Amino acid sequence: MMYDYFSSIVTGITAKLEQDPQGIHARKRYALAVATLGRRLYSGDARIAWCGVTAPFDLLNSMGVTSCFVEFVGAMLASTETAELFMQGAEDAGYAADSCAYHRAVTGAMLKSAMPVPDFIIGTSSPCTAGLAVMENMAKQYNRDLFVVNVPQSESPDAVRFLARQIEEMAGFVGDHTGQALSRNRLGEALELTNEATVLIKEIYGLAKQKPSPVDSRFLNNFGVVITLFMGTREGVDICRGFRDELRHRVATNAMDASQERIRLMWVQNRIQFPFPLESMLAEYGAKIVVDELNDVTWEPMDPDNPFESIARRILSIPFSRNADARVTHLQTLAREYQIDGAINPCHWGCRQGTGLRGIISNGLKEIGVPVLNLEIDCVDSRNLAEGQIHTRFEAFTEMIQG
Amino acid sequence: MKDKILGFTCAYAPVPIIEAAGFQAFRVLPQGECPDQAGQLLHDNLCPHVKRVLDRALDNDLPEVSAMVFVNSCDSMRRVADAWQVARPKDQVMVLDLPSTNTPSSIDFLATEYDRMARTLFTWNNQAFSREKVRARIKVWNDLSHTLGRLETKMGEAFYPGLAAAVQIVVNTAATDSVDAALAMAKAAVAKAWAPARGHAPVFLFGNLLFDPKVFDLFENWNMHVTRLDFCTGSRFVSTVDLSLADDPFVALARSYMTGPPCARTMDITRPGNLAQEIVERAGASNARAVMGFTLKFCDPYLARIPGIRQALQDAGIPFLMLEGDCTMGDIGQQQTRIEAFTEMLGV
Repeated sequence: MMYDYFSSIVTGITAKLEQDPQGIHARKRYALAVATLGRRLYSGDARIAWCGVTAPFDLLNSMGVTSCFVEFVGAMLASTETAELFMQGAEDAGYAADSCAYHRAVTGAMLKSAMPVPDFIIGTSSPCTAGLAVMENMAKQYNRDLFVVNVPQSESPDAVRFLARQIEEMAGFVGDHTGQALSRNRLGEALELTNEATVLIKEIYGLAKQKPSPVDSRFLNNFGVVITLFMGTREGVDICRGFRDELRHRVATNAMDASQERIRLMWVQNRIQFPFPLESMLAEYGAKIVVDELNDVTWEPMDPDNPFESIARRILSIPFSRNADARVTHLQTLAREYQIDGAINPCHWGCRQGTGLRGIISNGLKEIGVPVLNLEIDCVDSRNLAEGQIHTRFEAFTEMIQG
Repeated sequence: MKDKILGFTCAYAPVPIIEAAGFQAFRVLPQGECPDQAGQLLHDNLCPHVKRVLDRALDNDLPEVSAMVFVNSCDSMRRVADAWQVARPKDQVMVLDLPSTNTPSSIDFLATEYDRMARTLFTWNNQAFSREKVRARIKVWNDLSHTLGRLETKMGEAFYPGLAAAVQIVVNTAATDSVDAALAMAKAAVAKAWAPARGHAPVFLFGNLLFDPKVFDLFENWNMHVTRLDFCTGSRFVSTVDLSLADDPFVALARSYMTGPPCARTMDITRPGNLAQEIVERAGASNARAVMGFTLKFCDPYLARIPGIRQALQDAGIPFLMLEGDCTMGDIGQQQTRIEAFTEMLGV
């Protein structure tokens, strides 16, 4: 079923792109890459690993492993409005209905054999312990070997050493399962590609900061998280170049509509994954999202001569790996750089690590004069969605900002 | 002069280090009647443990705690560590990074974390850093662990009314008052001539937090013979540290804590899902005929493993009752009918 679904997307987007081969079409090319990855995961002939969100995908790509974080599947099921079936399946099997719906959807898909069986599994303790529990359950269910990357919360020398050591051990684990040991040359090349993509990503975010911003609310939706899957590959560089070029084009052709951003917003953590008229709702009030918390480069360039420590430092720099102080400081920096007027925190139901910071994030942004709208919403499970209520809250929030 | 009080919230906090640095260790348990305010800083969908702990901090419902050690053991613990610093900015706070796995590299790292913690606490209390002091306190805790172990063995051998509550009182005393007092109580309990009784169903209890001794008296009133208290606030809190494992007490602590009976958040990656099998084995070893789980609402590490535990118990033919709540007496009281039906079904 899923293979056919991804294949049809690949076919459809490819046909559209062929109609305008000279066009930039950044989002379409990005969607094509994502669908192609999905098709590969479900093809049955790739060597695949299910992973945690902060796994080093460039290293895995350099070792020829098709890898993906499991929350990607949860989001994809939500976007295709099929998550409910799987979440219900997980709940029927005894998994708590008030747990994270990304994980419930994935668990349900696993129980209903709608997930490809991986060759091995790589869990990460960041961003959440709930995700790690899913990885352990998956290893048990599929009877596959599990490796866990423990991500400390501090950036102390001991923490860096510990994480770097684990990443090196992980490479050994992967090599044991693929029969091909890590090639330092290939890893070096992959990290160079990561660096190339990162330069482009920084340029993308730099363009997005302009006022008016050339991005619309949807343009960089999920970008920062999903692009990690393509790190260390030429395809990843090409995707980033497409986004950069499209933004450059919009700026060059003055395609930004200032009337559509009377209110510049920041989105905290994950977007709503099921079909939801967020952009049009915001547009009604002249508001748009110009920055997402997870769309940022927080790390230094990768050092191919010191790959494990470089990767470790990158993982440790990701805001949701860190404590509240670091995360709030990061949000404040983004708020200033993007000159935002307000922030929306979706408080994804069931996400302890994310929603647990609700009050601290609100206070931190309030300190610098940025109001926060805390939405009580499940970003994956639409069953309890109160769309009218959200509409009303957007209206009140934007009125308050403009008032 | 009284020792300064240092608070902690998780069973993975190494209390011997806290005491060696000259602090009185005080476990901030989620109890009391303070108003429900934690949701302002956290969120209402976090577990009642961390919310109640933060409520106590916000309401100043604590002894004279001047410092805290938090353990990065789960998402909720991470968040309460963050929130505590907002609620009580004058407290000295340290967060210990706890790996999720018991691999050699994890144990090495945890040992460095315990070393860091010890140096920090000795400095906070203007004491000279001393591994010997840490070793000495570990020996006292080991003494308590061995003595409690004898009581726990007795719990499994026969039904002694009041013994489960007595064990919990010892653990609570060690957690919130004094390990020396707890040891004296434990030794007195060992020496006491407990009168066995019949007609109660032997049940192994596991979960995260259940610490009110009156709860276990209630269970007995509902025909249950509690054979073991496998909780973060029970036997898992007072575990033996094998000092022969390493010359360095921090390495010994790390190895013992990471290879002992685990909380659901700690895993053995060579045996995914092994918590379920361990519960089956520990229940059998305690002579239980059934298992009852109790977890706090919104506790992801446990709730995600319950279906696997249920399956393993079913495969082993062991009846299982799962309760979820907020660990207050009122909440437990509402479970009376279910628990009575469960023990009645066991047909002792």
